Amino acid sequence: MENESCVEKESYVQHNCDHYEDHRYDDLEHRKYGDKEVDVCIVGMGAAGGVLIHELSKAGLEVVGIEAGPFWDPQTDFASDELHAYSLNWQDTRLSGGNDALKFGPNNSGRGVGGGTTHFTGVFYRFHESDFRVKSTDGVGEDWPISYQDLEPYYDKIENDIKVSGPKHFPWGPFNGPYPYPEREPISAWAQVFREGCEILGIRSSVPPLAILSAPFDGRPPCTNRGFCNEGCKPNAKFSTLIHHIPKAIQEGAEIITDSMVTRILVDDDGKVSGVEFNHDGSYYQQKAKVVIVSAFTVETPRLLLNSACSQYPDGLANSSGLVGKYIMPHSGHDVFAKFDQEMRLYKGTPVMACTQDFYETDPDNDFVRGYTLNAHGNRPVALAKILTADAGYWGKDLREIMLNFNFYAQITMVGEVLPQKENEVVLSEEKDEYGMPRPKITFNYCENDNKMIEHAVEKANQIFKARGGKPAFVAADTGHLLGGCRMGDDPSNSVVNGFCQSHDIPNLFICGASVFTTSGGANPTETIMAIAARTADYIADLGTKGEF
Amino acid sequence: MVEGKTYYPDYDVLDSIEEWDPVTADAVLKRLGPFPALKFLTADEEQKLRVITKHLVYDHRDEIFDWVIHFIDQRLDDEKGEYQRSPDAPPEKILIREGLQAIDKLAEKLYNEDFLSLEVEEQFEILASLQVGKAASIPEWSTIPQQDLFDKLLILTVAPYYSHPTIWSEIGYGGPAHPRGYYRIELGLADPWEAQRKDATDKEEENGE
Repeated sequence: MENESCVEKESYVQHNCDHYEDHRYDDLEHRKYGDKEVDVCIVGMGAAGGVLIHELSKAGLEVVGIEAGPFWDPQTDFASDELHAYSLNWQDTRLSGGNDALKFGPNNSGRGVGGGTTHFTGVFYRFHESDFRVKSTDGVGEDWPISYQDLEPYYDKIENDIKVSGPKHFPWGPFNGPYPYPEREPISAWAQVFREGCEILGIRSSVPPLAILSAPFDGRPPCTNRGFCNEGCKPNAKFSTLIHHIPKAIQEGAEIITDSMVTRILVDDDGKVSGVEFNHDGSYYQQKAKVVIVSAFTVETPRLLLNSACSQYPDGLANSSGLVGKYIMPHSGHDVFAKFDQEMRLYKGTPVMACTQDFYETDPDNDFVRGYTLNAHGNRPVALAKILTADAGYWGKDLREIMLNFNFYAQITMVGEVLPQKENEVVLSEEKDEYGMPRPKITFNYCENDNKMIEHAVEKANQIFKARGGKPAFVAADTGHLLGGCRMGDDPSNSVVNGFCQSHDIPNLFICGASVFTTSGGANPTETIMAIAARTADYIADLGTKGEF
Repeated sequence: MVEGKTYYPDYDVLDSIEEWDPVTADAVLKRLGPFPALKFLTADEEQKLRVITKHLVYDHRDEIFDWVIHFIDQRLDDEKGEYQRSPDAPPEKILIREGLQAIDKLAEKLYNEDFLSLEVEEQFEILASLQVGKAASIPEWSTIPQQDLFDKLLILTVAPYYSHPTIWSEIGYGGPAHPRGYYRIELGLADPWEAQRKDATDKEEENGE
């Protein structure tokens, strides 16, 4: 490997911004393609972008991936420390309002190669069949243009590609295992009491499928239960696209440009997209491409499309429906805590080691539709203190008392389906960021169904704790993930992309990632994001090899 | 004012530092000082902030708050974003700077004294009123939303405070465990180097004023 420039830099960590084949540069003077038009340019190297660039370069296409943040080296950039890990999150200020204003960062979006996969919990659920047709079955939200069966082969593929560790039998949904690698065991004390509480109440529970190795794979070791999945996995036991898909994509010929913020998608005279403009270190560059894919999270994707408004598309790209930025959905993520007499030691083990999906599907006995997953959840002091202060309102003496008992609490976190509402949105604000781009303004309010579901989940979590001898202690309003904003659908007047993530308005503009979710489901979304990306990659590779770009 | 009890009076997380990877050890040791001169905060702001942050986490050991203040100063000095901000609130640099001035104004209105001259109970009452957005009316609140100010002060305090190794030891947190990891994770088990519970011990003498 060459390191052609800037060895004189003071830091012992060498960060480059251009990566391809055997080349690494810390400037953009030696780009692989330069002014040449490539087949595909992908904006964002996270969960979706990582899968897309690997699959498309494997198919023989010329692909360039552009990422706003750095190309991390887990050995020198990650630490076993919560505060140190702040740099993995998307820290750029977003204006966030509404009655249930969202918080951003560790719970949803990443910055740097790998995106959110560098700091996700590794929980790897498939959606259920019902998730794709909630309007037909429950009369709420909207049906997806694709079904579970459309995604099934891609769920299989992704799980096998990264060797998901999971149970022999998973009790819920259409896929019941076995998973490619054995489930993680043993499980931590706080996950044990969850499972025992469930058993007493007749609730089924399981160790969740995890993108965390239970045995060696691909030169990577099994997990050591260090617990810092959300801070960047230093041993490389947890999957991320940073350590799996992106290096393999580079081997297949892809170029990764990092520390570069895409500020505009370019449009040619025919109304098709022709590439992107991006900012690196204050200078502007372009990458021409036959196809552009935007995989830049639920906030930055609509922001980029809206900011790319031009004379042909005055309301922003792919926005003839007016729905770019609309129908965003977090998961309701209330954290429920109980105190036990014995030490739970929340800091040990991976963040989620037990779960139940017994309340996932619509139950006619409930006063709400759809459902949720309950995850037994670990935690560490800074994250717990933030939950206690920002979400639950504790401070001063009360905060100190609870934290001194840190080791005696167990936590259950819900992942609840939030119904799509048009008023929950991302728009451009008047305020500009350092690139001169308008900051995004996000508005979010729960609806009645969401709130009733939260109430139900909190009660169930407390019942589980009580059954096992825990004393319900406090509940914190929290959310996880953020989906939607460019939803997929068959009707161009009612959606932004089709079932292959191709924009209805501009055939060579694709949007692929969390932003295309039509509904939110009630489970951690990363596997579904990656399965959709793998299916989209197949479709685009097929067009490319037929010469139909 | 510190009344807390620790279950782990003999535990010091730093006893394991030789087992930590160098990146982590370096990041944690920097929290013990020495710290460079303040860049953003003025001496007056630092004094006020020190008292407020101590109240917020109910502790007053200055060596810990040297680090808390350094962290806040660094954060306010650099140009990184603040994740999210209410559309009604100003950027955090302004929120904190003008917010500290507003707290003095409030103290003067209520007690005819500046914030630092108040009794501790009065200082706590002012902070409690900010948390619920019910502080006495002064014009400053039209541009400095009270609850945004309180939440920002709190979040800027707890992040560094609960990252200090002394606090980790006190709460029995195992801290960094790379490369060795954890092996005894089930109920009732702990690795031999982890905090071992003793009967709760009163730390008041050690930490008290």
